Amino acid sequence: MQTKTPAQERRDKIVFGTLAVFLFLVIWYLVTKLTAFGEIFPDPVTVLANIGDKFVNPLGKVTLAGHILVSIRRVMAAFVVAAAGGIVLGVTMGWYPVVEAIFKPIIEFLRPIPPIAWIPISILWYGFSEMSKYFLIFLASFFVITISVYSGVKSVDPMLIRAARMLGAKDNQLFTTIIIPSVVPYIFSGLQVALGNSWASIVAAEMVQSNMGVGWIIITGQQSSNMVQIVTGIVCIAVVGMLLVMIMRGLENKLCAWNKQGR
Amino acid sequence: MMGEQKTKAAGARVEVRNLTKKFGDLLVLDDISFNVEKGEFLCIVGPTGCGKTTFLNSLTRLYDLTAGEILVNGEAVDPKKHNISYIFQEYSAMPWLSVEDNIRFGLDIKGVPKQEAQENVEEMLEIVGLEKFRKQYPHQLSASMLQRVSIARAFATKPDLLLMDEPYGQLDIELRFKLEDELIKLWEKLGTTVLFITHNIEEAVYLGQNIMVLTNKPTKVKTVIPDEIPHPRDVTAPEFVKLRNYVTDMIKWW
Amino acid sequence: MQKKKSKYLWILSAVTVVFVLFIWWLVTDGLGIFTSNTLPSPIKIVQAFIKKLTDPNPDGATLGAHLLSSLKIVLSGYLLGVVIGIPMGIVMAWYEKADLMIRPVFDMIRTVPGIAWVPVMVVFCGIGFTSKAIVIFIGAVVANVINAYSGIKQTKQVHLWVGATFGASNWQLLTKIALPSAFPMIINGLKLSLGGAWTTIVAAELLASNRGIGYMIQQARGILRPDIIIVGMFVIGIVGSLLMLPISLLEKKVMKGGKW
Repeated sequence: MQTKTPAQERRDKIVFGTLAVFLFLVIWYLVTKLTAFGEIFPDPVTVLANIGDKFVNPLGKVTLAGHILVSIRRVMAAFVVAAAGGIVLGVTMGWYPVVEAIFKPIIEFLRPIPPIAWIPISILWYGFSEMSKYFLIFLASFFVITISVYSGVKSVDPMLIRAARMLGAKDNQLFTTIIIPSVVPYIFSGLQVALGNSWASIVAAEMVQSNMGVGWIIITGQQSSNMVQIVTGIVCIAVVGMLLVMIMRGLENKLCAWNKQGR
Repeated sequence: MMGEQKTKAAGARVEVRNLTKKFGDLLVLDDISFNVEKGEFLCIVGPTGCGKTTFLNSLTRLYDLTAGEILVNGEAVDPKKHNISYIFQEYSAMPWLSVEDNIRFGLDIKGVPKQEAQENVEEMLEIVGLEKFRKQYPHQLSASMLQRVSIARAFATKPDLLLMDEPYGQLDIELRFKLEDELIKLWEKLGTTVLFITHNIEEAVYLGQNIMVLTNKPTKVKTVIPDEIPHPRDVTAPEFVKLRNYVTDMIKWW
Repeated sequence: MQKKKSKYLWILSAVTVVFVLFIWWLVTDGLGIFTSNTLPSPIKIVQAFIKKLTDPNPDGATLGAHLLSSLKIVLSGYLLGVVIGIPMGIVMAWYEKADLMIRPVFDMIRTVPGIAWVPVMVVFCGIGFTSKAIVIFIGAVVANVINAYSGIKQTKQVHLWVGATFGASNWQLLTKIALPSAFPMIINGLKLSLGGAWTTIVAAELLASNRGIGYMIQQARGILRPDIIIVGMFVIGIVGSLLMLPISLLEKKVMKGGKW
């Protein structure tokens, strides 16, 4: 077996990663140029040119950057509220059996419904307004975060709690010194999943009904059979989705440096 | 591949010639040469971080060698050809296998016939006292039981050469004594050649026929000290204490 | 003492559920704060469910027919994705050369939610079975590849060493050590991708379809029938959970040794 240093491994990863993406683009280019596939699917150069163009010239009402910002704003507004609510409810449910008994059956009942299935009712209740998007993103994040945080509190080692109690810790001290630190990784894994859900949900919601946003780009592309526009939208969705994941991971690494398990 | 499986291990003769290992520019093992006789119990001690594990991993070719060669019974070492077992420092029981299946693991790899494999497994279960736990899975076992599973797995194939890398490092002292005695019994019974790495001098003096002392990095052989006190050894006997102090002097890593 | 307390909590749970249902009834049928084309009462929803079992109106098919149509698409796309994705992930992880090249491409593709492929497929092959099955397939392949891959990669070095020192061949190392090590992750992938597939089909049917459970709730929205929407939502939730059952059974069977 070969032995490599971590630095070497990281360098290999970056080199091969870049190479792979480049190769992917080259193959994509060649396939569209040399085969019949090119008649129905744009080559990467055209797509990149279109992306560049639409950052300057508007696509529909606003430029590409405008669409991306609209989608991100919708996600963030509701996500922040859901995160705050979910963390509070998750912690109290995990800590107080009474709260658990009240909320758990309701959450367990609603949780299996995928957020996307809420789209029709959210439109029916809130119409074209931004509220219908916020409502949807809230649902897409809230349950995931609540359950993750709740299971985090539940998994705190009872020995730790007993030990702290023996040392005379009060409830609020227990919270700040034991519960919160051990729950933070669960909070982050909940937030991570919730943000992914939210991004997918906003794309779907905008595809079903909207006049702006990344989902709107691809659905109007479909309606006018404009494959360049569809692929442009997909690339934007992928890049922004990737950036959101990276930002969350960066935050987690900063805040949970002590916890190596928090992948 | 093993041809006929022997009920008693033959014990392998090991020759190490100019063993050298570099990681990049870092020289870890520096031109090590020594021989181990058939059925010998050799303890290897050295300062912490002196590359003991690298040494053992190079011996079994888990690491590629930078230079030198290792011969087992006159041939270049090859785990596919030679009957080798290795007991690692970390817990290495497979979590998806029951105790019984874990012990059978090496026999399965070597394609030992079912009947014979089962007999070996039964024998090992009895020796390490895990018969009652045969159907349990590793996550249900205590630390000492886990290490016993590894020991039983290693001996079940009746290896000619057994390598042990601080197998008892994580156990408390009482269990260590118990498992050390079990090891001696198994070794005497099977005639396996044993290479036992430890940083615990008392353990080395308690177990070995010879004690090889390694230097700090880059690792070389400092000296080999014979330990001729008959088994069972008494850690409080004057000759034991004397030898222990002598080995300690030879290491002096503080 | 402990038992009494948990019994009391159980009663509290039951009371809460009854209470929520009562409030729901009160604000709808009871006091008429919400009309039944905004939020129908629980009774109306049960009625709608029973009616929809046999009545193809107003959207052209019974609940069972819609469900069957959705399930057919999900299962064909999903099973194909599993059968191709798992071996592919294993190969990628086991052979380092393949790994370094393919992995980044997969990381790129997986950030695209399945639903975003719908327009591409609709332009290619219309709104029928094929386009949706392909979208489901893409999602399932990507999730299963990544999980099988990570599972294999998480194989403990010491376990491989045990095999190597016993003289195991490369094939034995893979089948007797790496694969069992990867089981928990592979099963995780099966679960995640099934959940994803079920979500995606609903979304795809909201967008482009003439049959299916997603189509049913989207049609019901158009004609202001929230009772049918809510029935659809509950059915989606329940069927989604039921689909997981076989995987949970498999998990219990392969993972007798607890989690690892």
